[in-house]
Amino acid sequence: MTHSHIAFSRSITVQPDTSQLYEVRRFVESVAADATLDSERTFDLMVAVSEACANAVEHSGSPGLPVKVKAACRGGRLVIQICDYGGFRLPSTANGFQRDHRGLGLPLMVALMDEVRIAKLSGGGTKVTLSVKLPAPALC
Amino acid sequence: MELSTSELAGTPVIRIRGEIDHGNASTLSTAIDDLLNTEQHVIILDVTQVDYMDSGGISVLLSALRRLRERGWLGIINPNANVQRLFQIVGLALDSSFRVFDDNAAAEQALRETART
Repeated sequence: MTHSHIAFSRSITVQPDTSQLYEVRRFVESVAADATLDSERTFDLMVAVSEACANAVEHSGSPGLPVKVKAACRGGRLVIQICDYGGFRLPSTANGFQRDHRGLGLPLMVALMDEVRIAKLSGGGTKVTLSVKLPAPALC
Repeated sequence: MELSTSELAGTPVIRIRGEIDHGNASTLSTAIDDLLNTEQHVIILDVTQVDYMDSGGISVLLSALRRLRERGWLGIINPNANVQRLFQIVGLALDSSFRVFDDNAAAEQALRETART
């Protein structure tokens, strides 16, 4: 086995519609349980993934390319990647917290996660990587 | 998400049940706007049965607060610990026009005090 250090790797692909966020959260809840996260960290992860997916849905535009959410347990962390295949757009922070509807997503992700990375995919698209330290790092 | 409306000491209360996210926040926004358009000074949201909220919901609260601040306040009844943590992160918890109550009785008392002033 080349993946002897990886306790699990799971993914879900959804249509780029905010009505799918509910389903994505059930997926996150399930992988968080597998990774032994407590209810507080599970909530944080559900919010962060929802924010990333909401951004991805916005990027996807028409014709509406699917959004992929991949979860893996590695290096003592639960790592979730959210990929969309629309045009790359840096999540906006210009409006800050108090102003308006836009711009809350990225600050919330950063506040709630142990690490957030955003990358431009070759061929268009955006990959957001969220990671949370596990309570029992020996797990993976 | 399910919404139902009632009154507490003559002030409208929207009871929310379920999860508030980017997909359904506009439903809540519409319900709040309908009340704001009736020139209410105070609006109360009972979130006892809300187990999840993200920036979709937070944005709706910020919009409501912006419209209410000049004339009154926005009350929230019984948010769970996770939702309260979000309020702190986004700075809502520090806003004097954003008032959080443990239960109906505490909200009712605040409404009666507001009515006296």
